[in-house]
Amino acid sequence: MRIRRAPRPDAAARAPHDGKAGPAAAGPTSPHAAAFEAGVLGELDSLYRTALRLTRNQADAEDLVQDTVLRAFRASARFDPGSNLRAWLFTILHNAARNRVRDRARETVTADSDIVERAMDAPPPAAGNLETPESLLIREALAPDLRAAIDALPEAYREAVWLRDVEEFTYTEIAEMLSIPPGTVMSRISRGRRMLFDRLHHLSPVNA
Amino acid sequence: MRNCESIDLLLTPYVDGEIPSGERPAVEEHLRRCDPCRARVAAERAVRSLIQARRSALAADCAPPGLRDACARAAEAAAWSAVPAPATGWKRRLVPLALAASLVVAVAGAFLYQLTASSATILAAELAADHVKCFAINDVFDTHQSRTAVERSMAAGFGWPARLPPQPEAVGLELVGARPCLYGEGRAAHIMYRYHGRPVSLFMLPDTIRQDAVISVLGHECAIWSEGDRTFVMISREPRNDMRRIASFVHASLR
Repeated sequence: MRIRRAPRPDAAARAPHDGKAGPAAAGPTSPHAAAFEAGVLGELDSLYRTALRLTRNQADAEDLVQDTVLRAFRASARFDPGSNLRAWLFTILHNAARNRVRDRARETVTADSDIVERAMDAPPPAAGNLETPESLLIREALAPDLRAAIDALPEAYREAVWLRDVEEFTYTEIAEMLSIPPGTVMSRISRGRRMLFDRLHHLSPVNA
Repeated sequence: MRNCESIDLLLTPYVDGEIPSGERPAVEEHLRRCDPCRARVAAERAVRSLIQARRSALAADCAPPGLRDACARAAEAAAWSAVPAPATGWKRRLVPLALAASLVVAVAGAFLYQLTASSATILAAELAADHVKCFAINDVFDTHQSRTAVERSMAAGFGWPARLPPQPEAVGLELVGARPCLYGEGRAAHIMYRYHGRPVSLFMLPDTIRQDAVISVLGHECAIWSEGDRTFVMISREPRNDMRRIASFVHASLR
């Protein structure tokens, strides 16, 4: 037998779904399938820019989004048309990104344990800064600096801050997306924001 | 006054304006007296305001047109492959689709060869889509080519001195014909067979080397193997065991 299964099939092929049913099962012209397709394609920009933050690389981001869209269509039977398509798609994006990282074994998934959370704990800003409103210290930061500072965060914090402050998901939605408790979501957002503050604060010409 | 630990998980919701109103006075009381917590809230708030002020610039990255096309194709492929297969007569199933096929093919030209380079699943999905579409077209044009005609067109079109399996009927296959495939803007060959009357595709991708694999995607089974610097992908909706047997036969008898 010369044909054999690959030792590590692509992540999408492992999705526990046969891809044969779903809203699309009614055929290319069914209203459900059309609405699902339009809904998915309508989120491409959001998915892409989030994928860019997760991968920090355009080619990987495009591949990740394409993988996410394929998974979404394969799993369309499990999507409840009355629920939040956007949150559902971001859940798939997150899982696809995690699987890719795992498959490539290039990085470990960080900050899943309390130990890592504590180790990453940044000291609070010096009390001496209280005289000046903090927003004054960083408000001159331009989008490219801010984007670079976000990209420099460890993945778990980068993702949490991005989903909350740019994509504007609720704590509950993010918790479901990342399969972590809401308290962990909040502490990652908090820690991520404080790390950003420290970085941007040091970039500011007033403080440099 | 409550201590920092008990207030900790309320500070981020406080910054985001999502704190239960009953808790707000306790947090504000704490912040009046606690410099570190006040500094933390101020820092978080400053960053949140900054991100909101720069949000339109941060969110300016749009999906590139090529990615958008590829995702639209994946959507089409999902819709097409989800059309339920009847127990008999794949021709009957393809006839109503054939009318729409020309529309699909019109948008299918722009192909993202590069994007699929890193993922066997995406490659398989793209080829599965072309498999469905090409057979729909073939039904309209009613192509029937001989083995030598197909071999000649492979040699002329792809520099591939192909020797197709001389007795495909040994494994239940019947040759239909060949055409340049939409995949890779015509850089891949598509040879079409029937297996008990149902469509089976064999794609040949020149200058491509892939790891052997059998993948289920979009309701199809896809067997992938490489021989020299050519990669072959066989696709059908037959059960995996049948597909392994057919692919194994073709792999062994194809030159």
